[in-house]
Amino acid sequence: MPPKSILKKTPAATSTQTHPAVAANPPPPARPVNQRHLSTAVQHARIYEQRKQVETAILDAVFELIDFPTSPDADPARPSPSDAHRFRQAIVPFQPSDYDGLIEERNIAAKCGYTLCPRPKGKAPSTAKKHFVETSKGVQIVDRKKLEMWCSDDCARRALFVKVQLNEEPAWLRQGDYGTEIDLMVENAEDHHKALPLRLKKAAAPAPEDAEADAAAAWAARDDALADLAMERGETPGRLSKANKDLITDKIKERVARFQPTPPSLPPGQSHMAIEGHVPKSARHAEPKDSDDEDDEQDWDKALPG
Amino acid sequence: MADSGDHKARQEMLDLWRVYRTTKEMCRDRGYNVLPEECNISFDDFARKFGTDSGQIARGQMNFSTIPSEDMVRKYTPPATPKVLNPEPAIGTLWVEFNADENIGMKNLREFITHLQNGSYYSGIMIVVKPLSGMAMRGIRGAQQLSGGSGPKGGIEVFLEQDLKINITKHELVPTHLLLSTEEKAQLLKRYRLKETQLPRIQVTDPVAKYYGLRRGQVVKIIRKSETAGRYASYRWAI
Repeated sequence: MPPKSILKKTPAATSTQTHPAVAANPPPPARPVNQRHLSTAVQHARIYEQRKQVETAILDAVFELIDFPTSPDADPARPSPSDAHRFRQAIVPFQPSDYDGLIEERNIAAKCGYTLCPRPKGKAPSTAKKHFVETSKGVQIVDRKKLEMWCSDDCARRALFVKVQLNEEPAWLRQGDYGTEIDLMVENAEDHHKALPLRLKKAAAPAPEDAEADAAAAWAARDDALADLAMERGETPGRLSKANKDLITDKIKERVARFQPTPPSLPPGQSHMAIEGHVPKSARHAEPKDSDDEDDEQDWDKALPG
Repeated sequence: MADSGDHKARQEMLDLWRVYRTTKEMCRDRGYNVLPEECNISFDDFARKFGTDSGQIARGQMNFSTIPSEDMVRKYTPPATPKVLNPEPAIGTLWVEFNADENIGMKNLREFITHLQNGSYYSGIMIVVKPLSGMAMRGIRGAQQLSGGSGPKGGIEVFLEQDLKINITKHELVPTHLLLSTEEKAQLLKRYRLKETQLPRIQVTDPVAKYYGLRRGQVVKIIRKSETAGRYASYRWAI
């Protein structure tokens, strides 16, 4: 036997068994879409989408950097320019915690934590979970995991040199292009500078011959300046800006003064103490006098004990 | 020394036997096709089937796949709409893997995902000894987008062996949870004239929700014993 309904039977429910609730009170008609609400929602959806993309990019970068360097006999002190360039490029969106994740992943793959080092990770003297280590501050108890993180102190220094340069702010919140240059601790620094894709200045345009070319140059200069400004606002090309042009109107309406402004003044014969035109007696007395006397009358010190 | 080693191996075998049974029961309770014998496998049978000659356990042999029962497929098929006349069921073959590695990083996860893709499994369950690395956990969250959007559609779930030693749903304080299908959910909302946001909620990270593999937006009916009402049913919206 099916469970019996405890709800009151409406006449609509008995007549049409299929849609009792719908028949009893039909849903309100759909409201027209508010364009502003819609565009706000779309804007926020875009921001989430961008965040997701950044997170995926970080995951992919970590996965790629696990297998670095590309050649098994690379030297962490003198990495190949292409590897170093890729590493510096891939690590830009990282936060320090992401970098720790990368080190952990590399250690799981039994590699030294420094991305440009091909050697296997270090080995602790025993398989105990904690180890006594002699340091300058005396004997310290260190996790085995931490001991085995790097192949040598040198690599640890190189890796941490990168870590301190990383931006603490999540990549999807960063504005503009600040802090995108990550330096490496390398011995062959000049190679890397050569290998980097330098943004060569465009060959100087031939001297403008007439006014038209002059104007074109001026327009180009304006575009460059606008692009620089956009960069400063955080509107990197190809990336989404937090400011939405549809949501923020930039129409400035000037108010034009029609007459000379005058300072406000009281109508003649009226004091500022007046209440609807009537000046109370106390106010009339108090006005010229200073109120210091009243304070002195109440001598609170005498009343205090001790 | 040999005795203590034997003891340890036996203890591990015993633990894994429990984990295996709970896993099978979990699959059965979700609605996959699991034979009753598999859920009630005796310890001796288990040791004979998955143990090596030296008394060790071969976790690799414990992996299994299972297909959803007809009831489950029906439950997971969204109702037909004028545009989609024959909707695809949002469920499929499940692959369960017992991983023996101590440290599991992104690499192992990618291998697992590739295996799921190659076997065209709909979803995967990984049972691990120690928790995954942080990056791998983040990878699971976006598993469907990984490798160019061709990851397993049903996602990946990870359980610790420790958490599966005991079947939590058999505890007397855990009431019956019943997953509602899309139609049942619609009926419920219509009957009580609710929007789904007006239902009480349950987190998908809740132990019981994890046991049943609830997804966001699904509704479970919870039937518990009540001193005053006999049985009391309430509903939870998974979030």
